[in-house]
Amino acid sequence: MKIFFRKSIITYPLFFSLCFVLLFGCSNEEADTSDEDNTDGETTDISILTTAYTPEPPDESSPAWQALEEYTNTNLDITYVPSSNWDERFNVTLASGDLPSIMLADKTPSFINAVQDGAFWNLTDHLDEYENLSQMNDIVKNNISIEGEIYSIPRSRPLGRNAVTIREDWLENVGLDKPETIDEFYEVLKAFTEEDPDGDGEDNTTGMVVSEYEGPWDIMQTWFGVPNEWGEDENGELVPDFMTDEYREALDFFNKIYEEGLVNEDFAVMDPAKWHDAFVNGEAGVIVDVGDAANRNHKDMVKDDSSLEGSVGLFGAVEGPDGLYNLPTLGYSSMLAISKTSVKTEEELHEVLEFLDKINTEEGQNLVFNGVEGRHYEIEDGEYVPESDQNLVYEYEDLNQILPALPTERYHVEEESELTEQWNELKIKNEDIVVSNPAEPLVSEVYAQHGQQLDDIVNDARIKYIVGQIDEEGLDEAEALWKQSGGDDYIEEINTLYEENQN
Amino acid sequence: MSNINKMHNTTPGRIFDVCNHLLLIVLGLVTFLPFVYVMAGSFATEAEIARRSFFIFPETFSLEAYRYIFSTSTFVRSIGVSVFVTVVGTLVSLALTMTMAYPLSRKNLVGRNLLLNLIIFSMVFSGGMVPTYIVVRSLGLLDSLWALILPMAINPFYLIIVKTFFQNLPVELEEAAKIDGCTEIGVFWRIVLPLSKPVIATFTLFYAVFYWNDFFNALLYISDSSKWPVQLLLQQLMMVANVDFGDMDALLAEPPEESLKLAVIVVATLPILVFYPFLQKHFAKGVMLGSVKG
Amino acid sequence: MANIEFEQELTFPVEKKKLTFKQKLRRDKWLYLLLIPGIIYFALFKYLPMWGILMAFQDYSPFLGFWASDWVGFTHFQNFFSNPDFFRLLRNTLILAVYDIIFFFPVPIILSLLINEVRMALFKRTVQTLVYIPHFMSWVIIASISYVFLTTSGGIINDIIAHFTGETVSFLSHPDWFRPMIIGQVIWKEVGWGTVIFLAALANVSSEQYEAAIVDGAGRFRRVWHVTLPALRSTIVILLILRLGNFLDQGFQQIYLMTNSLNREVADVFDTYVYFMGITQGAFSYSTAVGLFKAVVGIILIYGANWFAKKMGQEGLF
Repeated sequence: MKIFFRKSIITYPLFFSLCFVLLFGCSNEEADTSDEDNTDGETTDISILTTAYTPEPPDESSPAWQALEEYTNTNLDITYVPSSNWDERFNVTLASGDLPSIMLADKTPSFINAVQDGAFWNLTDHLDEYENLSQMNDIVKNNISIEGEIYSIPRSRPLGRNAVTIREDWLENVGLDKPETIDEFYEVLKAFTEEDPDGDGEDNTTGMVVSEYEGPWDIMQTWFGVPNEWGEDENGELVPDFMTDEYREALDFFNKIYEEGLVNEDFAVMDPAKWHDAFVNGEAGVIVDVGDAANRNHKDMVKDDSSLEGSVGLFGAVEGPDGLYNLPTLGYSSMLAISKTSVKTEEELHEVLEFLDKINTEEGQNLVFNGVEGRHYEIEDGEYVPESDQNLVYEYEDLNQILPALPTERYHVEEESELTEQWNELKIKNEDIVVSNPAEPLVSEVYAQHGQQLDDIVNDARIKYIVGQIDEEGLDEAEALWKQSGGDDYIEEINTLYEENQN
Repeated sequence: MSNINKMHNTTPGRIFDVCNHLLLIVLGLVTFLPFVYVMAGSFATEAEIARRSFFIFPETFSLEAYRYIFSTSTFVRSIGVSVFVTVVGTLVSLALTMTMAYPLSRKNLVGRNLLLNLIIFSMVFSGGMVPTYIVVRSLGLLDSLWALILPMAINPFYLIIVKTFFQNLPVELEEAAKIDGCTEIGVFWRIVLPLSKPVIATFTLFYAVFYWNDFFNALLYISDSSKWPVQLLLQQLMMVANVDFGDMDALLAEPPEESLKLAVIVVATLPILVFYPFLQKHFAKGVMLGSVKG
Repeated sequence: MANIEFEQELTFPVEKKKLTFKQKLRRDKWLYLLLIPGIIYFALFKYLPMWGILMAFQDYSPFLGFWASDWVGFTHFQNFFSNPDFFRLLRNTLILAVYDIIFFFPVPIILSLLINEVRMALFKRTVQTLVYIPHFMSWVIIASISYVFLTTSGGIINDIIAHFTGETVSFLSHPDWFRPMIIGQVIWKEVGWGTVIFLAALANVSSEQYEAAIVDGAGRFRRVWHVTLPALRSTIVILLILRLGNFLDQGFQQIYLMTNSLNREVADVFDTYVYFMGITQGAFSYSTAVGLFKAVVGIILIYGANWFAKKMGQEGLF
């Protein structure tokens, strides 16, 4: 009790002094946005706001950070925000008015609004000057653009990342090859479910495991020729994916495999965190997700049972009635936008872009992604050998959150297994068969307002149809509800924007 | 006391006692088992967690997760931050809440109703995240641990409850003290607070738990990662592990291991869990209201 | 608390004569001094940011800031009320809120009465500590554990049900099970935490009061009814009134995690809607408007309940 009172006596003066700070402190709200006079003419001050995925992101004391500053001739001030609640912090930062020079952003309505209000530099005409930044993939360029203009540098990722992971040893056991058509895919699922592929004499396997996360259905419907969100009809008008005939065809297939028990029965409620466990534990033989999951799952399986070495394979997609298609990713994971509040002149913009260009060189990417040679890794016989001490890893790991990786990933990677080689080839092969979304660069107001509701209507109807809760009629009703809830306006708006964008 | 014992010894009384104890034991198990599962998982291997859906004893006992946690200074430091914020925050909150509640418990205080109305209004209406952020920034509190304390120093909800409690204290004692020449502050300090031990214990617990569990203010106001409290790290690990796989960033290292997640839950929860039993003895010492009556 | 009744009647002898306003202020000068820090707190952190409410009447753009954003009057409210989903959201929110008060609110009271009947101090404390543990588990963990227990393919509870009835129950996906499941989870998570305050209030009941009741020949149940419950009455009333202020609030994270395509029709509530509009879609003004609507409902309920409580002879909030 006594301690508590003494403390409170200390607190009060502190509290009062705070009130004074408020009274007299309000006016300097905009004063301390960093004085970028750059009088020394040598190093450039660059402030960055980005996400952190590790519990301990690097700071100025990190050798990797210092090496990066030296290499790019900058003075960096990187603020890391836990990725878990990035959205809140992003919005508050926008609202507070002091934006950093470089800010991580997604194509959310708040970002688009801020762009329209002039918060960020238009980079469209600037990028050509920079060796690496200019080599942006055209699909990605289209995806990040807002009303035809580019306001950010993407953190690029493989477009052809979606793939099917499959148990090769199971295929052998049931005497089938990797499927190439949808029919063969069906045969495989059936055999994996009914023919005891693990040979333990028990009926304890399902063909494919899916979770509450809807990605796999999106990927698989693309195989049937369903467009990626929007497709052109015969008149050149854009129609949403679920209004095509192919969509219904795909759903019938999904419903069939569900009814026959080739997919786990509780997929609609399955915790996505437990999704891959079913594959790793040998309960299911197929998983449709990003291809890098194959390697991760394979590692987990081998750790538990070394006889499973080499039991996991990959393929991109199977051929549908109209040909071979795969669903691409957006080709980037968040973008780096340059704010006009911190970067005031074209010269300063040039310096910031130069920095972003320079970290894409091989040396830059190594610094950002691998840290400093001799401290964080060694090159032994031409092989990259990273240091495993966690404290050292933390010194550089989150620096990769500022890396655009343009035109490609050039940092060191560990020696590749057969599976990752397979995966690297597949990524490139996938790029030829991906279907891009023509409406991606369009900014729809209707969608900004009702997007969530509209998407829910379509997704929910799809799941209900797959599990047999609704029939064709139910799908029609959902479509009608979608149109009524703003969908009609959405289609109209998208088509108008699409026409404008093409001219 | 003998009378009370007699009461319990009747046959219906005994039947009730047995049922009651059984019920409470079952309830205790139901609420406790998931935590046991978290504990067990934190000592288990990754493969076992993936294979067995629920277990209380791990087949292979592994300290790997804890070794990892204590191999870096991060978690230890963040627990230090949490402890500091919790201790200082609870003291500040208790001081502010008690001193404000006491005058408000006096029904004849001029302006009392206006203040109470304003407090209740502020419980329901709030300016929201952005304006509060701007105030915190104007006060120069960004990146300071005080930003995790001052903006939530008084919980209006608790204030009202404490006020009600003070209202129910026997007036005779205060009067007696006043006649002895005490000022109001003297009465508050010498009479009211000592009588309020259970209340102080209760709200120490409430505020401490609030400060310990809060991560959102740290997320908004703290940029310097060396000042992140442990709950923010926990949140970070939980959410990264929980994002849909399709969204997972290719550049990321492996998602955190399940056992690590569970171990961090244990490390982040145990300190505050053991706090309650420690406070409980103060709950038991009720106010001797009887003493006034004599 | 037996003293409540007479204590309120009792007044200070000094008050017998009428004091002027100034005299009253001077009399209570020390009390005002005690109030100052608290008042500063409320002014700074609660009332200074209050301008944020006005965003509901603007087309607030975070980058332009408050002063440069356009004023749009009641547009957002109109959009909200005319939204085709409004009545579904309102209905889902109200039903869950009513369930919460009927099925959750009394449980901690009952549990504290049961714990209070235990005489063995060690057992009592152990139970208290055990039941309060779930309060510290995050919803992510609880959702994950719920899945493990309740899923129709291999969930422990469904295995047991299937063993006896041969059928499984779709707890997680059937819309009819959504609300019981949500309330069940809340009870499991918060019941122990809820008992803390009641047990603290019970600590104030002197054993003399029990003795007196026993001397009067009161049975066990009557003793609970006449001594223990009245001791909790003012706490219960206050907590209930305060709870009504957040009547339309549901835990966003819990609902969000337990929602899926098959139960969404009953799962969507204002809080999940506001989250998607405000944070994901960045519609600041719109979500502020929805929040304001909820607050207005809350304040009406608080004052209504307070008025009613006083009418019923209870103490109320002030």
